[in-house]
Amino acid sequence: MQRRSAVKNIALTIGAAIVLPSWANAWNKDSFLKNHFSIASPPENLLAEIVETIIPKTNTLGAKELGIQQFIPKMIADCYDKKAQGIYAKGFELVDTNAKNLFSKSFLECDAKQRLEVLNKMSKSENSDEKSFIQLVKGLTIKGYLSSEYVMTNLRIYEYAPARYHGCVPVKK
Amino acid sequence: MSNLNIDSIKNQTYDAIVIGSGISGGWAAKELTGKGLRTLVLERGREVKHVTNYPTTTKMPWEFEHRNQLKKEVVDANPVVSKCYAFYEGTEQFFVKDAEHPYVQEKPFDWIRGYQTGGKSLMWARQTQRWSDFDFEGPARDGFAVDWPIRYADIAPWYSYVEKFAGISGNKDGLASLPDGEFLTPHEMNCVEKYFSQQTAKNYKDRHIIMGRAAHLTNPKQIHYDQGRASCQNRTICERGCPYGGYFSSNSSTLPWAAKTGKMTLRPHSVVHSIIFDEKKNKATGVRVIDSNTKQMTEYYARIIFVNAAAINTNLVLLNSTSHRFPNGLGNDNDLLGKYVAFHNYRATINAEYEGFLDSTTDGRRPNSAYIPRFRNLVKQETDFLRGYASGFNAGRYQHEDRNGMGEDLKNNLLNPTYNNVWSVGSHMMGETIPKASNFVTLDKTLVDPWGIPQLRVNVDYDDNDVKMTKDFFEQLSEMYTKAGFKNIRTNDSNRTPGLDIHEMGGARMGKDPKTSMLNKWNALHNCKNVFVTDGASMTSTSTQNPSLTYMAMTARSADYAVKEMRKGNL
Repeated sequence: MQRRSAVKNIALTIGAAIVLPSWANAWNKDSFLKNHFSIASPPENLLAEIVETIIPKTNTLGAKELGIQQFIPKMIADCYDKKAQGIYAKGFELVDTNAKNLFSKSFLECDAKQRLEVLNKMSKSENSDEKSFIQLVKGLTIKGYLSSEYVMTNLRIYEYAPARYHGCVPVKK
Repeated sequence: MSNLNIDSIKNQTYDAIVIGSGISGGWAAKELTGKGLRTLVLERGREVKHVTNYPTTTKMPWEFEHRNQLKKEVVDANPVVSKCYAFYEGTEQFFVKDAEHPYVQEKPFDWIRGYQTGGKSLMWARQTQRWSDFDFEGPARDGFAVDWPIRYADIAPWYSYVEKFAGISGNKDGLASLPDGEFLTPHEMNCVEKYFSQQTAKNYKDRHIIMGRAAHLTNPKQIHYDQGRASCQNRTICERGCPYGGYFSSNSSTLPWAAKTGKMTLRPHSVVHSIIFDEKKNKATGVRVIDSNTKQMTEYYARIIFVNAAAINTNLVLLNSTSHRFPNGLGNDNDLLGKYVAFHNYRATINAEYEGFLDSTTDGRRPNSAYIPRFRNLVKQETDFLRGYASGFNAGRYQHEDRNGMGEDLKNNLLNPTYNNVWSVGSHMMGETIPKASNFVTLDKTLVDPWGIPQLRVNVDYDDNDVKMTKDFFEQLSEMYTKAGFKNIRTNDSNRTPGLDIHEMGGARMGKDPKTSMLNKWNALHNCKNVFVTDGASMTSTSTQNPSLTYMAMTARSADYAVKEMRKGNL
């Protein structure tokens, strides 16, 4: 475990300088929306703040700094059907409607605690569009986060070539 | 095709032609060049060089644009190949897309293909179990198909021969139903697999749980280093191509070995249209090849021809090789060509949980699983269906993370997965299917593929025997699981379409009698003795074991015979 902690500490110090893989660097909002998928463009930063609310920065990086707000539209445009794309497109307005109903301001004007409350409320909503939107965005946020280079090299280590298989070892406490 | 002058005929003439560079074609290339024959290897797809042309092999999970998920447009455009477990963002480049080679499904058949040097040997599942006399004597004992013209003793030395070169890991288990081979160090069974093995041995005198035998270099020998291969690194992303050559493929092993002799000419983009039969000489003289880029047809000539195009495509080539002498396809006097196609029944899976060994887990990854050799109807008929099934068996201690909620708690849970409070166990069925005249492939009379070759019509389906066997698999495995104390047993019949097993066999079966079979005991056409078929098309019955190792051994044996006969002046 010593090595793992050491790696973790290094990661924390260099965390801010994390380099996104090349495919992520090529992204920007315009290229997505023009090339892939025509949806109502979410207000600047809205998706970034939604994913950051789902997985926030703590002593390790959160979803926003890992660029999950770029991963999600890519997945929605390329891998999902029209129905899911529709749920996605409608959802942003619903986020703001809920924010306004709860706190009389937009989602971006809410503080972190209020934002979390908005998303939690929507996740339990009886309005299936709201619930499905949160399910979709939350699922993709988790997928993007857990399979990010940062998490897979620092926090939940992916072994590229383990070169071993042991069939019976003690569970580490 | 006219305009051939003497020089160009000479330039297009070889000692041997091999159609296909997959798992059996690669072996034909290695054996024939190794015996000094100038050999032309025809591959219908593009060239895929070992390491150089494995574009995704060193990619990390986060480097895949869609994290290995297929794009929706790919899934929508490819309903057939998208069903294949090994087809994902990292392997798309090695599979034939549905539109690239159309065929007619009279009955649903998922035809999974790999058109490139190495064929499907790049993406195969690497299970290499020998067949035994329980398999080779099956048709004669149980009265289906025709008797195999060979027995285990005929092929055993050739199993040893190919195993030593390919590198097969396994344990010597001493079972008559699954003969031992020339094994490298076996993979390890985990605690629950060992436990199930012991429990099963206690509960049944004739049922065994063993470690699967797999084409992985667990401890490479000099012969493997000489091929430029190294130890398997347990990455378990084999189907992307292995830069270490840790598993056997034509690309990593037989093809470079053949190339080193200086005797091999490998010609990619070469779709074989047909085999040329010379009535006066009463033998085949060469093949007609369509260049897939230029659509130009060229003829190549040789004294012997090995047909290793993969089972269904081998049938296609032979059916399309018509002549005055053979109007229904090469060697097809008995109208059997294309018939008696069979496959493996992979429909059934069974899963359960075990609550023991909770202080233990596994470490690292294993490109293999445990294996249950066939026990049903093995030494005598005991059920109301014919033959039986083998099965994989796999136990794993999986982790999960609580994905409820959002915010810091969710993040914390995601970063701290916990072990499930059970081991997950599961088996999949690999059932022998009975070859029948009513399971067949033919050529369409009007539709052609992009190269002007008639499209194949596939007519292959399950039957009542398969349904009964599936039911028995569920019953027997449930009983074995229950006796071992496994809980929460769930069975699932996927009803998956034939073909998806990627173990299609037959159509040009071996046999003793030219009236009832296409090939003799050396895999040569009864009626055209310089044409050899040593891929899945030649199989008289399917056994329950994965067939690739048997194709390799058959090919080496057949090539040895062919060259000896050539040297005696008989071919």
